[in-house]
Amino acid sequence: MLTHAQFNYPRARMLRHPGPFNPVRIQSMRHQSGRHIRLLLAPGLSLYEAVVSALYEANVTSASMTILGGQFRHLQYCVAPPDEQKKTVIAYSPPISAGAAHMIFGNATLGRDIAGAPLVHCHASICDGHGEVRGGHILPGESFIAERPISVLVTALEGFELRQSFDEETSIPMLKPAAETSHE
Amino acid sequence: MNDSGERNSSVVKIENGRMGRVAYARIAPNEDLVQGVEKICLAEGFSNAFVRGGLGSLVDAGLGTSDGSFLRVSGPAVEIVSIAGEVRSDADGTPIASLAGIVADTQGRIHGGPFIAGQNPVCVTFEVTLEEWLPDTQ
Repeated sequence: MLTHAQFNYPRARMLRHPGPFNPVRIQSMRHQSGRHIRLLLAPGLSLYEAVVSALYEANVTSASMTILGGQFRHLQYCVAPPDEQKKTVIAYSPPISAGAAHMIFGNATLGRDIAGAPLVHCHASICDGHGEVRGGHILPGESFIAERPISVLVTALEGFELRQSFDEETSIPMLKPAAETSHE
Repeated sequence: MNDSGERNSSVVKIENGRMGRVAYARIAPNEDLVQGVEKICLAEGFSNAFVRGGLGSLVDAGLGTSDGSFLRVSGPAVEIVSIAGEVRSDADGTPIASLAGIVADTQGRIHGGPFIAGQNPVCVTFEVTLEEWLPDTQ
């Protein structure tokens, strides 16, 4: 059967990254189940401290999180325009202060950075102090929860862990799933 | 009708089931977001799944509009700041992802809609957690 299809849309672009192409395009790991936790982010703490202190106490070092929204006393985020130095395809902008902002909805990942320390990667939509709805890469250490706790649905990852490593293709460190290692 | 071809007249309105396995994946640059999620299901053997969380960046975003066209949000990078969706397999067992979300452009301005398959190339990385859905009827 032949059908005629319209072809009046732009072609999806791809970008050339600085490093060698990795033929493995999807790096994936699985476990037989996930452990679910309702986490309340403690008022006054940074997003980073609130996530890490509570989850490490629950022996969770790798997790995927849905932040259900709430007020921040102060929130900072950044965006990712093209890298002016041309070393990578994009580079994070300087921090943008959103002031006292409401996080509408966010997603975050907990893993370990290259040195083995806890890493929180968070993207969210926010309503900033001027009432403008914005979005971007949240700076978890520079964003502080206001007076009311914020609910988070945590899917704790077990059987493998999330670890940051330098990615040769993009020349940017990033989280990838990896076999569990002992950090005792 | 949704992307997997279910019509309101025939769709099962309640599907009891439970969550099964959990997969976390990183989709590499220039791979399509929607087809990438479908390929994760192929790789992990999930017939049905819910997106449990995801974040990352796109070269440009292609978001469906109600008139049947789509909005091109130009990057790079367009950051995905919210995403929700599911994957259902068709009668042949091919996984089909229906994903929608909110993206932020290089100025932090936000846009939203369904992600159109083939029009959402990943910029640097996309991290996604999928939770397998196991209907009681299967």
